Amino acid sequence: MPDWAQAVRDRLAGLNLNGAREAEIVEELARHLDDRYRELLAAGLPEEQAHSLAVEELETRDMLAAQLRKTRLPAAREPMGFGSGGGNIMESIRHDLKVALRIIRAKPGFSLAVVFMLALGIAGNAAIFSIFNGLFLRPLPFAQPERLVDLDETAPKWNLKYVGVSNPDAYAWFKGNATFDGMAFFHGGGANLSNSSGVARRIKTATVTYRLLDVLGLKPAAGRGFLPEEDRPGGAKVAMLGYDLWQRLYYGDRRAIGQVLKLSEEAYTVVGILPREAILPPDAEVWTPLAADPNKASPFYLSGVGRLKHGVTLDQAKADLARIHREQAQAKDDTYPVMQPLRDRYLGDFRTVVNILLGAVGLVLLIACVNVAGLMLVHGESRAREISIRTAIGASRARIVRQLLTESLALAFIGGLLGVAAGKVCLHALVSLMPDDTPHWIRFDLDARFALFAIALTGAAAVLCGLLPAVQAASADTRGALQEVARSTLTRGKRGVLSVFVIGEIALAVILLISSGLLVQAFRKVLHVDPGFRPDNVITWSLRLPVAKYAKPEQQLAFFESLVDRLKSVPAVSSVSAASIVPLDGHMGYFFEAENGLPTKDQRPVVLQITALPGYLEAMGMTFLAGHDFTRHDEAADAPQVAVINEAFARFFWGSTDVAGRRIRYPGGNNKWMTVVGVIRTTMHYGLDGEIRPSVIVPFSVSTVNGMTIAMRTAIDPHSLASPAREIVRQLDPDLPMFDIRTMSERLERSLWVRRAYSWLFAAFAAVAILLAAAGIYGVISFAVSQRTREIGIRIALGARPAQVMRTVIGSGMLLVLIGLAAGLAASQLSARFLESMLFGLSTRDAVTCISVLSGVALVGLAANFIPARRAAAVDPMHALRAE
Amino acid sequence: MSNQSIDRDLKKGSAELLILSLLNGRQRHGYEIGKLIETRSKGALVFRVASLYPLLYKLEDRGWIQGRWVEKPGQRRRRYYRLTAAGRKILAERQVGWAAFVEAIRRITGAEYA
Repeated sequence: MPDWAQAVRDRLAGLNLNGAREAEIVEELARHLDDRYRELLAAGLPEEQAHSLAVEELETRDMLAAQLRKTRLPAAREPMGFGSGGGNIMESIRHDLKVALRIIRAKPGFSLAVVFMLALGIAGNAAIFSIFNGLFLRPLPFAQPERLVDLDETAPKWNLKYVGVSNPDAYAWFKGNATFDGMAFFHGGGANLSNSSGVARRIKTATVTYRLLDVLGLKPAAGRGFLPEEDRPGGAKVAMLGYDLWQRLYYGDRRAIGQVLKLSEEAYTVVGILPREAILPPDAEVWTPLAADPNKASPFYLSGVGRLKHGVTLDQAKADLARIHREQAQAKDDTYPVMQPLRDRYLGDFRTVVNILLGAVGLVLLIACVNVAGLMLVHGESRAREISIRTAIGASRARIVRQLLTESLALAFIGGLLGVAAGKVCLHALVSLMPDDTPHWIRFDLDARFALFAIALTGAAAVLCGLLPAVQAASADTRGALQEVARSTLTRGKRGVLSVFVIGEIALAVILLISSGLLVQAFRKVLHVDPGFRPDNVITWSLRLPVAKYAKPEQQLAFFESLVDRLKSVPAVSSVSAASIVPLDGHMGYFFEAENGLPTKDQRPVVLQITALPGYLEAMGMTFLAGHDFTRHDEAADAPQVAVINEAFARFFWGSTDVAGRRIRYPGGNNKWMTVVGVIRTTMHYGLDGEIRPSVIVPFSVSTVNGMTIAMRTAIDPHSLASPAREIVRQLDPDLPMFDIRTMSERLERSLWVRRAYSWLFAAFAAVAILLAAAGIYGVISFAVSQRTREIGIRIALGARPAQVMRTVIGSGMLLVLIGLAAGLAASQLSARFLESMLFGLSTRDAVTCISVLSGVALVGLAANFIPARRAAAVDPMHALRAE
Repeated sequence: MSNQSIDRDLKKGSAELLILSLLNGRQRHGYEIGKLIETRSKGALVFRVASLYPLLYKLEDRGWIQGRWVEKPGQRRRRYYRLTAAGRKILAERQVGWAAFVEAIRRITGAEYA
């Protein structure tokens, strides 16, 4: 008998099998060869031929060894790659990707839907988050910004949250505190900057205490900062140039230092250049020393910034300043020091808006995720059969999972890429909507980390739900899955998940729609507020007379009067006059008392005082409730003092508007009484959604000002008046720059930009949400219908009418929609509380909004259900039955 | 699915399915398995030692089949293979999948002549 064992052993050489195992294999294979040999002999073959045929079974020795090596060595588990044997990893990834892209291309509708939803969710989030990040998360460009606090005073009695700091208070805090490393104060203003060729322009300036740069932890870009002796009354006239102005005026030449600047006709020597990254106040182009006298009383006008000592908390510092305040000689109970982190003071206004928008985009992202998840689930379901077959014929679970993973990741990647690109565009649009007065050192770059986060989040949703069918199909439950496939219906579990998805999407969309509906309603309500003046066809622009040239009030009055007279001659001007402050332009507060009026002991509201020329109220389109305007006779210094008050003033002090002839004065027995000659309707001076304050309009004889805003009313396009006006100003004084040239309509628009922006942004998000939700419902219901084609076919064959079929399909879909509506309505009542402060008095239960949203969503839901229902009703029973 | 991978899946999967099917309900030794495949396929499928045994060892490694030495009086011992519980489960799944696959193929190829 041939030695089979040896033949086998020869061919196993080099495999290094362990002895016992090799012996077993040798024995088993030898036995096989022997069986074969015997069989061949039995069939009548000669020994020699039988032997060679049996040995042939072993084929080449390399073949056997190679095959066995694959199965017997520990490392030779089934390879993960597609190629046989090892194959390199890059090669196999590339292969996976190729297959994934082919599948993505093969289902363009599905792929586009997934990519679109991902992109939508990511774009909105990336844009809004970048703004949030720029405003609130990115550190301020100062050294150790967390130690910087804003210092101010508050005056609840005057109905003012912030009044500013007075000189004596600022000095007392600066000298007496034990909790600050440094403290500085500043006051923003403006100046006419004249250059050598005599052309003047208006720039923003700030007077600052000498330590401001130090406190912020900044160094001059060139030159030096201010010295203590320059920051005293009578100190040298020196200035620091803002970086941008330095570039514009001197092209960044260091020789600018030592040059003389003419600011409002006064000469200042440039001693230093401000650093580029950070200036306080944010828009100042030139700093000059404050040089205040700490011993003289002053109005409250300074802004303060302090640097806390290491380890000192905000509360400790507050207690410290409160102590100083109490110890100050003069008993003062009208104002109190207040402080807060610097960022909060400058950006606090945006916080609510941005938080709410962030919430809205979060919801949109969530809806997008849910939608993608639903799509992937449905898609996976429709691929269950393919997956089962592949599993059955030997594809390993790992390989199928990897294939689906690659597909999901490829979709997530494309969606993410598009989303980030679209997000950049959105961000750009949003930033261009931001008001000019956002500090320029706030940067809104698309935050890469966040973009990655959004991509990862939506990608994870896609991947998880994309893998679910693979894991299920590839698990031991395959038989069940295949039988289900054979029946072509969804598992109850998955149908449940999809139902929850639909309900959730509807609910989320309802929350967003109701919120945005409320905001838009509130915005419309604001738009319908009567401003108290007629904003159309009025252009306004400002002039400030340098005191060095126009020292006396008479000179100032004469200038403004002759200017107004000349402007009247401009063609198409119907009325023109001037005032110190026009609506939506700012605030100048004074206190008044009224003869026989409410005493002002406990409550002293701050009164907006405006100095106006005769005819201003008419030019601005304000209405008199009683009395009349003052005239040029009232402007003479020796004329009896008169004033016009607004309705709010009259009602507060006298409880009536019929008060012409009554008298008011500044508090204090020595002050002259002013006779009220007229009462006007209250204007929305602080914005259509702003507060209402008592106001007094006085002639020049009562209060003089060196800066005024001219208002020109016309019947034509008001912008066309700017250039003849400029020519007239030049004739009067070529050194005077006109600034803040805006129509009143533009001022009104600007005052509403934040509300407009967030209202419409929210509406846009809500629109996206309902679009996504509708797509979600449509997708899920269509899929359910397509899966039930056979069942529906049987029903129709058994006599169900198409209308009945439609009712059933729509009924099951609308049930989900209705549950979603109810859930969304309930949740929106909770979420609307966050909006309350922005709703301008609108109830969060505003019936119009809620009902229109609910019925709108129900209609959209119905439409999304209707199409698949009609398809179901049109099922041809024979066709449906044969299809299986 | 690429053609390559289908092809590979198919060959590998079908061979495994053949072996699992033959071991369903009774244990057999390697020679018998090879013989049965050859005879039942009327010679269309032939597994030689070099391909049959590595496959058996692989299935055994996966825990789908289990081999053990059986001695019968007057004979040298043989290694018999039988299905494990896991193997039976896999077989059931693959039978359904295979049926679906064949049905799919039939529909497509059948359509050519329909």
